[in-house]
Formats: sequence, structure tokens, C-alpha cells
Amino acid sequence: MTKTYDDRTLALLHELFASATHDASAAMCRWTDGLITVTLDEVRRVPMEEVAAALGIGDELLTMVVLSLQGELGGSLILLFDEPNGRQLAASLLGRRIGADPEWSELEKSAIAETGNILGCAYVNALTRLIGADLLPSAPCFLQDYGVSVLEQAVIAQAMFSDTLLVCQIGFHRQDEDLDWQVVFVPTVEMQRAVEQSFRAAV
Amino acid sequence: MITPTTSAKTSEKTVGMGQIAAGRDPERLRAILGSCIGLALYHPRLKAGTLAHIVLPDSAGRDGLPGKFADTAVPRMLDMLRELGAPASGLTAKLAGGANMFAGSGPLQIGDANVEAVERVLRSAGVRLVGRDVGGTSGRRVTFDCADGTMTVEQAGQPPRSL
Repeated sequence: MTKTYDDRTLALLHELFASATHDASAAMCRWTDGLITVTLDEVRRVPMEEVAAALGIGDELLTMVVLSLQGELGGSLILLFDEPNGRQLAASLLGRRIGADPEWSELEKSAIAETGNILGCAYVNALTRLIGADLLPSAPCFLQDYGVSVLEQAVIAQAMFSDTLLVCQIGFHRQDEDLDWQVVFVPTVEMQRAVEQSFRAAV
Repeated sequence: MITPTTSAKTSEKTVGMGQIAAGRDPERLRAILGSCIGLALYHPRLKAGTLAHIVLPDSAGRDGLPGKFADTAVPRMLDMLRELGAPASGLTAKLAGGANMFAGSGPLQIGDANVEAVERVLRSAGVRLVGRDVGGTSGRRVTFDCADGTMTVEQAGQPPRSL
């Protein structure tokens, strides 16, 4: 079967992000003393109005770390947890029990933000190596907000050009267990075009 | 065309990015907003309303979902209300959203531009704006009640407020 132009672009993007995610997984594994790894679940195009549902992001408040991979071929990285999972990760990183205080301490926020930073830097290094992108990670931003609101901001640049959005969904695993955390990477339009250009050149 | 999602609470519809939903008493229309605008138009006598989830300020003639741009959403909303028997005269508008997320850094900051565009289009259409809850750096969950035209706005760490 002849692959469509879009199928081939998605396949190339999948290959690119799978390779970058492999590097990010190694970084995550080192950060968590071998406990946590990440894998690329899917790269797909989703109708704008369905993007939150497609990523399993409901209308509840979530704990998130957001950072931008700044540069022409970059994007936005959003690390998402619900409250219990976020507190659990912070506790394990700090080597202590989950705090009794419902408010996050600055140390807990910092531990989660650093997790985002570790992942973001791993993706920057991998994408720089794989496609020669000139990228700089922004400082990680710790947020507790509606996941849909944050996702909207991340996809705005794509939404200017299309009613279908390209997103990468990355899952977390602890040994054999899938964790209810995820990373969403939203590439810039320029990155998509760069991949499409490389497909055209190869055809 | 994908229609807004009706929840198991049969009177509530979720309006996704670029969508517009219409409803009558006792239906409620809901959206979660970042830099996007949730714009509600309401006819108080007929208890009929629409909620648009507007993403960008100006279509500049581009195609897209009718609710995606301020300049295409409002005319479409007026058409939908007309189909429900609600003329443009007597309508009121409430809007929420337009946040600048990630505290001013990160991807394209378009919240302020969205607010300005929606208010401009409302003025051109002669629809009176009677409530607004915009700006800031946090997301909003809005619920518009077609029973009485109330828009309830929820933000993290704050008590709900009504427009």
C-alpha cells in the first residue's frame, strides 16, 4: 500500500521522537535511581476540538511542569500528573514520605520542576544531535492548573495554521507498571515542515 | 463535524477548542480556557444561549472551525440563536478567558489579543457586553447556565465567581 504524504511524515516524526525519547528515558532513569523510564506512546494528528480528550486530559486540576524548547525547530513540553502521583514522585525524589501538608513545599515543587528540566534538556540534546536543531530549554515552570488550559497555550502556534494538531504522547513506567503520568510534546510548525521537507527530498 | 460532547449529566455540553454549542433552559454549556475566550450570547426572555470556544482573534479570510476565530464565531453564534428563534436584538454577551499562560514566557501569548478582538466584534454586531472575567495567568473553567444566563468561572486556588 502506498503511504500517504501525511503517513510518511508521521512515521518520520515518530522515528525522530522515539530516538529522542530513548535518550530522555536514560536521563529519567538516572534521575530516579533506575526506577522510572519513559517511552513514546504515539505521534498523531488530532482534530483541534478533540485534542484534550485524545490525550486523556479531563477537566480537573493537574500538577504540571511546562517548558519550551526554544528555537526554530522546537516545541513545548508538558509533564502532567494528578495530585497524588505528583506528590508521590516528589516524595520518592526527596527520599521521604509524602508530606501531610496539602500545600506543596518549595522543595517538592523544585523536585518536580527539576524532573521537567531533566526531560527537557534530554530532548534538547537529542533533537540537536538528530536534526541539527539549535535549541535552548526555557526554565521549567511548575503549575497547578487545568491541564486543558495549559495544553491550549501549547498548541496555539499550530492552531494558527491548521484545525488538526500534531502531538506526541509519552508515557512513564516504573519497572513493569504503567504510571498515570504523561509528557506531551507539541512540536512547532517549523519542526513539522522540516521533517516534511526531508521527506520530499527523499521521495 | 464533531459536535460538543454531552456529558452523562444530560443537560451539560462541553465545548472544545474552535467549537460552538447552543442550548436552552435547563442546559449548561462548559469550556476550559487558557488564552482562548469563552464567549456566551444569551436571550434572557427565550432562555436560549450559545457558547463559543474562540482560539484566535482574526481569521484573515482563512477557513477553519466557525468558533475558532472571533470574527467568524460571533456571526455563526447569531445564526444559531436565530435558528432557535432568538433575534439579535435583546441578546447579551459574557466572556471569560484570555489568560497569558506560563506567566508571560513560552509559546505565543495571545490572550490579550483575543479579548480585544472579541470585544471589537461584539461592538460591531451591536451586542451588549454585560460580564467579563479575563486576563491573568491561570486557566479557567466556565459553565454557562441557559436557565438564567449565569456564567460561573472557576480558577485554581480561588472561590468560584459568577458573571
